[in-house]
Formats: sequence, structure tokens, C-alpha cells
Amino acid sequence: MTIYYYSFIGMNIFINQEKKIVEDNINIDLLLKTLSFQDKYIAIEVNLEIIPKSEYSKYILKENDKIEIIRAVGGG
Amino acid sequence: MKDELTINNKVYTSRLIVGTGKYKSFKETKQAIDASGAEMVTVALRRVNIGQEKNKENLMDYINPNKYTILPNTAGCYNAEDAIRVCKLSEELLNGEKLVKLEVLGDQKTLYPNIQETLKAAEILVKDNFKVMVYTTDDPIVAKELENIGCISVMPLGSAIGSGLGILNEYNIAAIINQANIPIIVDAGVGSPSDATIAMELGCDAILMNTAIACADNPILMASAMKNAVIAGREGYLAGRIEKKSFASPSSPSEGNFLYDATKKKT
Repeated sequence: MTIYYYSFIGMNIFINQEKKIVEDNINIDLLLKTLSFQDKYIAIEVNLEIIPKSEYSKYILKENDKIEIIRAVGGG
Repeated sequence: MKDELTINNKVYTSRLIVGTGKYKSFKETKQAIDASGAEMVTVALRRVNIGQEKNKENLMDYINPNKYTILPNTAGCYNAEDAIRVCKLSEELLNGEKLVKLEVLGDQKTLYPNIQETLKAAEILVKDNFKVMVYTTDDPIVAKELENIGCISVMPLGSAIGSGLGILNEYNIAAIINQANIPIIVDAGVGSPSDATIAMELGCDAILMNTAIACADNPILMASAMKNAVIAGREGYLAGRIEKKSFASPSSPSEGNFLYDATKKKT
């Protein structure tokens, strides 16, 4: 296992309250690709603000952003 | 004449709306929906389980929004603010669809609606152009208030969610139906097909159920039973039942009854 003490580039974000280290200045589109997430019917909030799907490739995430990825599940 | 139900400018022939919770699998969910004949199905909104579910199937792969009307539910919300947040997320999730089921609960034990928060949320959502179908108690005053606010359908409970106790207050449900100018849909409480029939005989426009089908021993057969029960109740309502009487009334004519000899003298 290689440990990068000085050269690691990345930032902390929270996805569904779980801490993740991702590439700096990553956009939502790339984040979803990184997560290999292909769900068509989702909704995303960043810091409680809904980000429309059309903005995913333009929206740049920053350190400590809180991201919620929501989907439809079985319910009454 | 065709008997149709119109909700949010869409015409439905089925008067059974089904939930998608509590099934063993998505396959069973799909089979039960098909057997129920429902054209509108409810879903809930929850977090994606990142990392664990990326290869898992998705409910939406089984309920095609081009085939079924998806009714996102604010289940799990205990205040107006959370319910509004869920509605906005559902609008984004379903690519701009404004139809929602508003459900603001009071506590986890009864799952009874919190009326104050429900009214508050309904008012804000209607102003924001949401098409609100609202879960409420069987209180006719509250039902009217929700209609006046601009909800497109009021959905009183028959009894507590998941209880299967049926329609506990038929008089209240009937009172709500009689005063309403929008579809009244009994939501929650149905346990057996006869419960569904009773609700439909009272004149409600549709029934929404989940547990009664999903938790039956055979959900697919129960879905079919519920479909038939709703149709029976609706047709019975439209046909107009007889008055209840305290005395018998023979079904066969008394005229021409040869078993009775009128010439015979009483001894």
C-alpha cells in the first residue's frame, strides 16, 4: 500500500452524511461517475439546495459540502 | 356511460391506488400492481445507500412512469418544513411532476396526521403550484378546510395506517364525501376486500392501500381481490342500494299463490 504524505490532492465532502474524499473542484456529474451511479430518477441537494439535473456538469463542489442523493423507494 | 375518475387532468378507469412498500421484492411489487389494475402508485423518497446499492435494482425500473402515475409520498415527515422539502425533491426526481401525496404525521405510535402542520404545508404547497393529494383524519371540518385551501384530493383515513381495522367511522367518511367537490380517497386502514367495498359503497372516489395487499399471505391474489372489491363497491354505489327496513318483504309475488285457498273458511 502506498501512502501519499504530501502529494495527496483532494477535499472532504459529505455524501448522505458519510465523509468522502474526492478530487478537488469535482462537479456533480463526475462525482456520480466516480460513484458509478447511474440511477435516472434521483434528486440531489447540496447544502439543502436542490441542484437541477441540467446543472450537474456545471456545479462545482467545494470542501465540506453536504450532498444528499435521494431516490424513490417502496412506500405507501 | 363510462365511469371514470379524473385526477390532475388525467383520466383513470381504476379506482384503486396502491403503495409499493413492504413487498418481498420488486418483482412481487410489480406483479401485485399488475394484478390490482392500479394506474397510480405511491412511492417514498429516501437516501441512496452509497457504495452498497450501486448494482442493486431500482424500484423505478419496475414502475414505468409512462405507464403509471407516480405519486410521491411525504411519508416519514413530522412537520410542514420537511414535507415541503420532500415535495420539492420529488419534483426534481420526477422531472418536474407537481403531483404529491402530502402526509405529515403526528407521532410514530398512531401515525395519525398532524393537522396543524398538514394545513400549513398544504397552503404553502398549493401556492407553489403543487397538486396536493392530502392524507388527513376523518374529520369533515378539516377535510373541507383542505379542499378550500386548494388540495386536489382529500384522503381521509379509514383507520390507522397499516392497522387493517377497516372503516371505523362510516358516518364521517360519508359526511366528507357528501360535502366534497373534489375526489375523496380513503387512504389507510383497509384490511380485507370487504373493507374496500364498504368504502366504495359509501361513495368515495377511490381507495389507496398498501399493507393490506403487500402483507397478505398471497399479495398477488389479494391485489386481484382488492381490484374486484373496489369494482363491486363502486358498482353497488352507482346502482343505488335499497333502503334498510325493520321487517321482511317477500321476494316472490303473493298474487297467484295457489298454496293459499281464499275460499276455505277459517275453522
